[in-house]
Amino acid sequence: MIQLFHVSKIYPPNTAALKDINLQIAKGELVFLAGPSGAGKTTLLKLLFREEEPSRGQIIIHGKDVTKLNSRGVARLRQQIGLVFQEFKFLPHMTALDNVALAALVTGVPRQESYTKAYQLLRELGLREKYDAKPPALSGGEQQRVAIARALMNDPMVVLADEPTGNLDANLADETMRLFREIRQRGTTIIIASHDLDLSQRYGTRVISLQEGYLVDDLSPLKEGRAG
Amino acid sequence: MKGSQWGLVGRRVCSSLWARLWTHVLTAGTMAVALFVFGALMLAQENLQNLLTEWGDQIQINAYLDKGLGTGEVSLLRDKIQSFPEVERVRHISREQAWKDFRGALGAHSNVLEGLPEDVLPASFEVFVKPAYRDGPIVEALANRLRKEKGLTTVEYPQEWVDRLSLVVLALHWAKWVLGGILFIAVFFIVRSTVALAILAQKDEIEVMQLVGATEELIQAPFVVEGLIQGFIGAGLSVLGLWFLVLFLRDQTLTPIALFGSLGQLQFIDWRGIALILAIGSLLGASGSVFSLRRFMKRWKG
Repeated sequence: MIQLFHVSKIYPPNTAALKDINLQIAKGELVFLAGPSGAGKTTLLKLLFREEEPSRGQIIIHGKDVTKLNSRGVARLRQQIGLVFQEFKFLPHMTALDNVALAALVTGVPRQESYTKAYQLLRELGLREKYDAKPPALSGGEQQRVAIARALMNDPMVVLADEPTGNLDANLADETMRLFREIRQRGTTIIIASHDLDLSQRYGTRVISLQEGYLVDDLSPLKEGRAG
Repeated sequence: MKGSQWGLVGRRVCSSLWARLWTHVLTAGTMAVALFVFGALMLAQENLQNLLTEWGDQIQINAYLDKGLGTGEVSLLRDKIQSFPEVERVRHISREQAWKDFRGALGAHSNVLEGLPEDVLPASFEVFVKPAYRDGPIVEALANRLRKEKGLTTVEYPQEWVDRLSLVVLALHWAKWVLGGILFIAVFFIVRSTVALAILAQKDEIEVMQLVGATEELIQAPFVVEGLIQGFIGAGLSVLGLWFLVLFLRDQTLTPIALFGSLGQLQFIDWRGIALILAIGSLLGASGSVFSLRRFMKRWKG
């Protein structure tokens, strides 16, 4: 369960990115954060994995107040959250396999176990032949799948994805969304920030709309009659 | 940290050292020069200290005889000095013996004395003090009493030199720490800058590691290890340099050091001195890294 109580984020000198957000996301939900650029979607994700701290309010993830974590606590939180970025954030001098295994190695999982699991994930995501390729040599869709594999390495309770289909064509975007729906079936909560309204309407079981930092809409498929 | 995390640290250290090899070599070299200066002062201080100890153990007074004294007067004077309660024994060094001893001390270089008259050195008494009386004020009182004896021109005893050399040793001790301190501060800033370069070069890697949940210790450890290795290698090079310096100086028989050499072989710094240099080098490297990291981690946290 993810809960946000009266969360605001103000960047100096006085730019409010989020204003008094109240929100609850249940375990295993697939949620879209929708809204135009500058609406506060990325800021909300950054607050969830503690890259930013809220100016006001409380954020509870699985019973823990993430606003009160020390640096070790933040590291532990991130080990339980899988992150997928539009710009992927890979280490270009390392292979796809190394990049995926890194997520487990930093948590202290033995090397052989980390690499075995990373290879299995890459194989599951159709990258069996590309595991030793370096990210710049991979296509956009392949890089996206490597990023997803990395996000799944530590069996996360939550996956946060910021514009995961932003650099992909329509087919690859559909393929990526199919992967997220499969991941969700494992009981993982998935929160996707996307300004692509069409995508969010086609796949979202729940769409939370943000505008100028305000939560303006929270459409659940049960209430609105849309199936995910 | 767990085994796999140490493995990750090791790989990151190796890749960073390799990627910026020349920067690390230059920093280790700078550190070696600073520690060499510190070590050279320590070497001088320790050898002078050894010399002082050696002299202190001997406690011998040299009393030079008036050239006009006859054999009988010399013998009488020797018996009188021998009767002093503090005196263990008196050895008469004739002019011929003094010349012979001096030639012997110069060894292969004794040809520099050619042309000089063989009676140029004065005859003297070597007065050995009983162990129970080998104390500064007692020896000084004995020397003063000897100075009043007719037939003796000059009375010297090592305590005077011990006192003067003690001051030199003290000066070296302070110079070692003051000069060393200034050099260490400079080296600290150089190491800090080197590590800052390494951190900036690995900024993306650090960001990715932070995002996948690496702890601060895991992110910082490679830089601290890198600084430690750099410092240890720099210190090791300085110890090696000091060893070559000692080997070189041991061959310099015509310099003032040769005089020390005749009293006791020039010694290399002991294991405690080597350990101190290695510890200072490692500490400088590691602390430069830690301060650099603190600055960057604070900045990145905003």
